[in-house]
Amino acid sequence: MTATILEVQNLAKHYRQPGNLWSSLSARSRIIPAVDDVSFYIKANETMGLVGETGCGKTTIGRTVLKLTRPSAGRIIFDGQDVTDLSPRQFRPYRRQMQMIFQDLDAALNPKMRIKAILKEAMQVHHPMKNGRLDARLEELVAKVNLKKSKLTNYPPELSGGEKRRVGIARALAVGARFLVADEPTSALDVSIQAQVVNLLKQLQATLGLSYLFISHDLRLVELISHKVAVMYLGRIVEMGLAGRIARKPHHPYTHILWSSLVEKKSRETAGIPNPPEASTPGVFDFQRPVHGCRFAPRCPVYHDKGQPAICTDPDATPPLRDVDASHKVACHFPL
Amino acid sequence: MKSFTQHPIPLKAPFWKKAHPVDVAYIGYGLVIVVMVIGSYVLGAVNWLPHDPAAIDMALLNAPPNTAGHWLGTDFMGRDLLTRLILGIQAYFLPGLTAIAIALTVGSFGGVVAGYWGGRLNLVVTYAANLIDSFPRLVLILLMVAVFKPDIYLIMIVVGITNVPIVAGLIKSKVMLLKEKNFIEAAVALGLGNFRIIFKHILWHNCRALLIIQATLGMAEAILIETSLSYLGFGVQEPIPSWGNMVQAGSNYFLQGQFWPSTAPALAILFTILGFHLLGDGLNNILERKTG
Amino acid sequence: MNYLPILKIEDLCTYFYSRSKQAFIRSVDHVGLQIAKGQTLGLVGESGSGKSVTALSIMGLVRGEPGVISGSIELNTPEGGINLLQGLGLHVRIHRDNGRIMQVAKDADAWEKTADRNLRGIRGKQIAMIFQDPKNAMNPFVAVGRQIAEAVRLNTAVAGHREARARALHWLAQVRIDSPQLRYHNNPHGLSGGMCQRAMIAMALAAEPVVLIADEPTTGLDATIQSHIVDLMGDLKDELALTTLLISHDIDVIRSLADTVAVMYGGTIMQQGPVQAVLGDTGTQHPYTAALLDSIPDQRLIRSKGYLQAIRGDVLDTMNIPAGCRFYPRCNKVDDTIRAQCRDQEPALINIAGGHRVRCWRFAQARPYSGRAAVHAMQRN
Repeated sequence: MTATILEVQNLAKHYRQPGNLWSSLSARSRIIPAVDDVSFYIKANETMGLVGETGCGKTTIGRTVLKLTRPSAGRIIFDGQDVTDLSPRQFRPYRRQMQMIFQDLDAALNPKMRIKAILKEAMQVHHPMKNGRLDARLEELVAKVNLKKSKLTNYPPELSGGEKRRVGIARALAVGARFLVADEPTSALDVSIQAQVVNLLKQLQATLGLSYLFISHDLRLVELISHKVAVMYLGRIVEMGLAGRIARKPHHPYTHILWSSLVEKKSRETAGIPNPPEASTPGVFDFQRPVHGCRFAPRCPVYHDKGQPAICTDPDATPPLRDVDASHKVACHFPL
Repeated sequence: MKSFTQHPIPLKAPFWKKAHPVDVAYIGYGLVIVVMVIGSYVLGAVNWLPHDPAAIDMALLNAPPNTAGHWLGTDFMGRDLLTRLILGIQAYFLPGLTAIAIALTVGSFGGVVAGYWGGRLNLVVTYAANLIDSFPRLVLILLMVAVFKPDIYLIMIVVGITNVPIVAGLIKSKVMLLKEKNFIEAAVALGLGNFRIIFKHILWHNCRALLIIQATLGMAEAILIETSLSYLGFGVQEPIPSWGNMVQAGSNYFLQGQFWPSTAPALAILFTILGFHLLGDGLNNILERKTG
Repeated sequence: MNYLPILKIEDLCTYFYSRSKQAFIRSVDHVGLQIAKGQTLGLVGESGSGKSVTALSIMGLVRGEPGVISGSIELNTPEGGINLLQGLGLHVRIHRDNGRIMQVAKDADAWEKTADRNLRGIRGKQIAMIFQDPKNAMNPFVAVGRQIAEAVRLNTAVAGHREARARALHWLAQVRIDSPQLRYHNNPHGLSGGMCQRAMIAMALAAEPVVLIADEPTTGLDATIQSHIVDLMGDLKDELALTTLLISHDIDVIRSLADTVAVMYGGTIMQQGPVQAVLGDTGTQHPYTAALLDSIPDQRLIRSKGYLQAIRGDVLDTMNIPAGCRFYPRCNKVDDTIRAQCRDQEPALINIAGGHRVRCWRFAQARPYSGRAAVHAMQRN
């Protein structure tokens, strides 16, 4: 129950900005740190939520963990085994145990294959089996994710968003995965369907003992489904801890802004929730994306309130992720 | 006024009914041509031809259609036009297939290598394609003919090779487009090997239509190239009948009013090329539209 | 409350036709809406509910056949009222069977011509629109400031370049873009998503429209940016007394901005009325609205880590509209007393309180409301 299924240590992924001919010759092309020094672990039967804005590196983490892209640095330990440097052939047995539910519904399923073929293929990758047994297993699988059997002969573009999502989940389960990276599994879905999918994920976790890395920008869903949450900002984890604590007692100014910006809270502001410090956030931000030091400083209300302390903008003083509470870490020079 | 009527129960049409009628007509016409090509081989094999294609009748030179059992008339050596017309396609068909096979296999291989792995391999493929592209095709063919002999297979091998860059380019851009989509990544995550991903997911499922249309275009092109080479005297050599050398031989008499020896094969070329083009077009439209 | 509505839509039908299935996609099916001056009407619904097609129908931007086929869209500008679908009934013949439209014949060219004449000086000028994807809705090669200035010169009395530029800067400041002087020269792709949406709003406002249509203005933006845009739109509503049709699938956005709400499902309106009545905890909700509200996690549920109240089944396929209530297959509030009615007969939109209408047999004791009269009136014209 308490075994760690996935551990990530100091993971980094740097992209090289495609430059012109000159910069590629002189090897001076800019390096963009999509993910920098990220460490976390996920226990069996546990969900970790990963939240952050577009482009903060959430998806990159998910893909790196599954070795769909090579990390620039750091280690990935799955089930006690360091899998970072395994060759594709050596890694194959692990593929069966870790799968991804992709964000883009339309692109994640081969549009020219029938649903049946997609699922059968996934089922047979690691466990080749006879047709009769395959059909029985297929039926089982389809029942598990609540997909109508009549949809098996359809092509992906003919399915609705919710059905496509179910197929995506079924495909991940078909290989017998224990650990799933769910990359925005409910984006582009209607709320009524979103609820079905979230319930399905929760129910599968309860019955099959799955572990999830749940990547989303929907804070309420993350809070609902996750046991612990990591908040990312521009490639770094700025705060990590139990879901309820992150949402209700954040220590990082960014986490605070995130949760207090929920439109829902505003629409019910009569309840007497105190005003977030967001009012002092400098209007619109862009362009400034510091790569060293505290990356959030240009947007940070605390930084402005405290009279712009030098340590916040010091490129050599990247705030480390340190404990503030039991299993609650924050990366800030002046935690709330 | 355009009218729209609701069918009492929304139809669940099979894909050939969903297809646009024009596409169905295209394919139908294309298939007629294909059947005629097969018919040519069958008739040739069982020797059910109206006349002996090589039988020279010096009494009937350039006889007009419908003289003495020659339905389409005779050519400048008194040979039966219809027989030679039927057999004419055989001069192209197998050589054309050779050209297509070379272009598609080598082109797909290059395209997949360049698109799927990219990087340095992409550079190699691109430069090789540019190198082939930089030779004028006709000059290359004439060179081959001059060095070796005017053999239609040799010519078609050159045609196939010079078509490789086109196919490779198309496949490459398609593969790069597909690579952006997650289903390739999903297949990797499932643990499928590269071989299966490339052949099943990329080539078979998603490049089928593209390859089919390239094949039909290639066949049409083979006929055209042979015809133009025949004009230079480098095409299929007499006495083997080909539409190209028939047009060429017949054209000498065209202005003297004996139009049939050149017009009949010219029309055959026209309708056959049209057939292959339409077949490719129709198949492409239906295959691409089938799944929305 | 001003009772003369600025925009009044009656019995709007916008259909599309699937040739392969020989069936109509009833995207907008007998929709009626009205917005009073200075008010915001929130149009909420799931994908395929027809909310965006409603907006496109108002703007005369529906692509596809047969498109808009009936209804009336009245716009009351300070200069007087006009029906945007005036005289279009002549170009379309509708055949009904059992009240349902089964056959449509439309002279698309004549329709287009008349519609364009009706919309001249209205589209973009009296009715402006904010699109969901601002980056695609703006010209990527022209600086945003110049695009706004162009909107000013096209749609207002300001004709000179210098004044237009000044107005554009004014609007950029109005939407709280910091350093408008600098942003004026940025191309759309040089701006972040949030800023681009602000520029888009500025461009729509620059025409000084009578009605603003905002189609999913916050969709696809990050949570913090979303709340900024919602704040901005709230402020603008107060400052400029804008009359807005706000389309969103996000109930929270609608709740924080709208005065009245219409809930759409499967191409028609299931419930409409004041925001407190429709989206509040009043208990007089349409089962669909109630289910929609329940499927969003609230604080209590989040704390207990429970299961969400999902609506069973899938979003309605508007090609296959059932004979009875559209929501019947998914409804969890049907009981045996009304089951037969729900299954076989479509409920009317009935008034249960001042301006609060519900399309549900559970509320059927009240007087039925009919919008059909408008079509017949139009066809007589």
